[in-house]
Amino acid sequence: MTASPFEIEIPRGRVIEVQRDDTRVRWGGGLLRGMAVVWKHWKESFKLNRSYSQIHGTFTIEYPEEQPRIPEAYRNMPILLYDDETGHELCTSCFQCERICPPQVIHMTQAKDPATGKPVPAVAEFIIEYDACMSCGFCAEVCPFDAIKMDHEFELSTDDHTRLTVHKEQLLRPISYYAKIAPTMWAEVRESALKKLQGNVRRRPDVIGLAPQLTEKIAARRAELAAQAVQAAQAAAAAPAAPAAAPAEGRKLTPEEKAAKLAAIRAAKTAQAGESATPAEAAPAPPSPAPAGEAAPSADKAAKLAAIRAANAAKKAAAGEAPATLPVAPADGMAGDTPADAPPAAPPADKAARLAAIRAANAAKKQQSGDGS
Amino acid sequence: MYDMLTALINGALGWGWPEWALNLLSYILIVTIVLVVAPLQMLFFTYYERRVIARMQDRVGPNRVGPEGIWQPIADGVKMFTKEDIVPQAADRIVHFLAPCVVVAPTVLMFAVVPWGPGMVPVDLPTGLLFFFAISSISAVGLMMAGWASNNKFSLLGAMRAVAQMVSYEIPAVLSLIAIVIIVGSLSINEIIAYQAGLIISNRDLPGVPDLGLGWFVFTPVGFVAFVAFFIAALAEGERTPFDIPEADSEIVAGYMTEYSGMKFGLFYLAQYVLNFLLCAITAIIFFGGWQGPGVGWLYAQGITPANPNGNGLFNVLAGILGVFYFLLKTYIFFFVMVWLRGAFPRLRIDQLMDFGWKFLIPWTLANLFSAALWVAFTRWGPAEGMLITVGWSPVLRWLAAFVVTLAINLGVYLWLTRVYAASQAERRRAELEELSAAA
Amino acid sequence: MEVVVQMVFGLIALFILVAAAMVVSVRNVIHSALWLIACFFGVGALYLLLEAEFLAVVQVLVYVGAVSVLILFAIMLTRQISGEGVRQLTSRWPVVLVVTVLLFATVMTPTLINQQWNVPPAPPLGTPEPIAGPAELGRGFVNEFLIQFQVVGVLLTVALIGAIVIAFEERARRRKVLTLAEELELKRLRERTTQTETPEPVEAEPVARETRPASEG
Repeated sequence: MTASPFEIEIPRGRVIEVQRDDTRVRWGGGLLRGMAVVWKHWKESFKLNRSYSQIHGTFTIEYPEEQPRIPEAYRNMPILLYDDETGHELCTSCFQCERICPPQVIHMTQAKDPATGKPVPAVAEFIIEYDACMSCGFCAEVCPFDAIKMDHEFELSTDDHTRLTVHKEQLLRPISYYAKIAPTMWAEVRESALKKLQGNVRRRPDVIGLAPQLTEKIAARRAELAAQAVQAAQAAAAAPAAPAAAPAEGRKLTPEEKAAKLAAIRAAKTAQAGESATPAEAAPAPPSPAPAGEAAPSADKAAKLAAIRAANAAKKAAAGEAPATLPVAPADGMAGDTPADAPPAAPPADKAARLAAIRAANAAKKQQSGDGS
Repeated sequence: MYDMLTALINGALGWGWPEWALNLLSYILIVTIVLVVAPLQMLFFTYYERRVIARMQDRVGPNRVGPEGIWQPIADGVKMFTKEDIVPQAADRIVHFLAPCVVVAPTVLMFAVVPWGPGMVPVDLPTGLLFFFAISSISAVGLMMAGWASNNKFSLLGAMRAVAQMVSYEIPAVLSLIAIVIIVGSLSINEIIAYQAGLIISNRDLPGVPDLGLGWFVFTPVGFVAFVAFFIAALAEGERTPFDIPEADSEIVAGYMTEYSGMKFGLFYLAQYVLNFLLCAITAIIFFGGWQGPGVGWLYAQGITPANPNGNGLFNVLAGILGVFYFLLKTYIFFFVMVWLRGAFPRLRIDQLMDFGWKFLIPWTLANLFSAALWVAFTRWGPAEGMLITVGWSPVLRWLAAFVVTLAINLGVYLWLTRVYAASQAERRRAELEELSAAA
Repeated sequence: MEVVVQMVFGLIALFILVAAAMVVSVRNVIHSALWLIACFFGVGALYLLLEAEFLAVVQVLVYVGAVSVLILFAIMLTRQISGEGVRQLTSRWPVVLVVTVLLFATVMTPTLINQQWNVPPAPPLGTPEPIAGPAELGRGFVNEFLIQFQVVGVLLTVALIGAIVIAFEERARRRKVLTLAEELELKRLRERTTQTETPEPVEAEPVARETRPASEG
């Protein structure tokens, strides 16, 4: 009677019947056996079993006090990545994720060059409706630039429904964050992702594609910094042989760079002074890109932007000798996107300032690309 | 309570109240205590069950509200109270409203005869045990009312199942108790507890046994069989898990409770847990001596009792505390066993339930009844009753003979019945299959 | 004390009468049954008032707990539960009234004439109550009322067997939906028979196919 697994085909499908060994227990012993199993579970459950080595013991992770150990490949909601160092977003708005998204909750607009009006490989606005997202992870899988990744954050409860429509500012995370939550997964794609980013950054004019993350408080500081930078640029234009370079600036410079350098160093110094006052953040605080786009056309602003860029580039150069100052650079970059409320630069020295700033920017860029490669 | 009040008011304070006033006061006090204790027990049981079953399933259970989640039942209660009370439009409103009351009232009434400690029985009815079961059977009417008034097929099915189950399992429950009643010779619950003084052996069966309050019936073959049968029947009466067919949530939503919400649902819940408490309590009382335990009898003998009016009131309190402790300890252990069974076994099918009740438990308890009669004959009967074998035997020998004979009978009957039952089940299955194959 | 007892008796009697009247006057059969249960309960209370505790408890156990449930079960099988459009009285109700009054009178008249309407004096303290306790009742059953007891027992056994017979007939019309285990068992049974008898497989095939609608329907 006790045949080994009995297999049979019935109209409902294929059935495998496993015969237990205790068909002969006829005096209630089977019931006691079952109770013994439960008793053992009860007794052992007072011990904690976190190694999952046995079937006994309590495995429960008491959540609010203890955080669950989330596996690397866990996926909850999508996020966007940006480069820690330059602040450049990895997204190029290729629309792959928007196309593949099954519940169609991803929306984006491509950034355009304000000067030419041509599309740029960067994203202007990126929206994900978290409330309808099904966490399938298709977007992360399909992304050719590894710009969209699945987050481990799961405490998304809110009493405000609109907060579940998430915009770019809230979606952006630095690469270092993702490298922390998913080290091996990031290591696999790191090389190609960064290389692609380099390629894209070259095609992005001005501040387009920079991670915009700034609170209003920092925005105010930025305005201040911008004003100072412009003044510095003016000073540089007025007196090309201004007092000596900073001690950190020990490298040889090509002659035509000098003037720009000076202006840039000034800017960097002021920026550094400002930065040291605020707590140094590993992740740079970013602003919104929209104001930058609007600000660009105005001549004043352009000057300002260029000045900031110069400062930024100088910083980069300085980083070679003084790596400790590195994180400051993106903060300076941010300063470039000063919103419209920035006090206008002094009108008389307008042109000279602009020129100096542009030159500085160019020189710095060259320098940067030389260092970067 | 009456004794204590008499001693306190007319004795210690010397107010000289009339008897009726004392009676009234004692009954009001008792009713208040019972009505407070019953829901508290229910609250504790819900928490207790959830924690224990969670541990059995390798979980932790509710541990958020208060230290180790002890206020969880109160939070649940608040939730129940604040929920909307929904009555289906097609329901019979009056009956729908009355049903929870009819279910709860008897379960609370059953507390009237439960002794908590020595001299701590609310009402010592001469027919206490029968009262207990008579009252418990009323709730079947309430279930039927709930099922019918809801005007819902699941409710009606659940009620039908509940009532069929209760009516069927009342028989083995009562039959197994009758075995004890035969031995004790009384239906009074106090009398049954008093019988269980002694040490392993009741000192009524064998005079001279030291009284440690351990002469429990469960140590005799008759009592053990009665205990097992009664406990199984109690599980069915209380709709505990192996027999929770009436509210099988995977089949019929929530049975008769389907259309109830808010506090009416809470009342059903209350009735269920209070009933479970009472069934555990009555198991402890009848088979495990209730408040009997080492020390209680001695302490109580020093206190104020009808037999010893000059005792010390302090000993009454001490005996009461110890007795209540033993009683509740036993009760909670039985509830633990109930939860344990819930953790271990899946739900029976209704036909399996009926088969088991009618074809196994009832014959078994009937045989046990016979054993109980033999027990009485061996231990107590003399030539006057026609029992000639035991003439001249010493009490020890009589007790031993009773033990051996009843053990042999009960064991034999058990083994034989299990075989017959298994064979009949197999035969029925075979017959059904043949029928099916003939039809197909 | 006496007055209180009589008042309580009056209340209980009134309750019983009202309940009994409701049993026959309510249209809904279920309500009628529930009133009947209330009536039973009142009778139990009356027994308790007469200090026949055992009888009162048995009344509750048997009538309220068991008989009423049987009645409810039986009612569930009737068609017109709500009782709408059902006449409460037959067209010949005066005749019925006369007959019942006559029958009642034949029972009551001798009682009324012969009964001495003074309450007997209370028995002296210490004498056991006549037939109230379980022990006395038990002795009564096996001594004085043995024949009646046996007859009732036979009657109940017959009823029980009859119920089983009726339920047994139902089995032919058992459910046609098979559980997985049954289907499995059936298939195995069939395989075994085909192996032993070795009929041509062509015959076995349609049989297997016929189970399909049976299992689905």
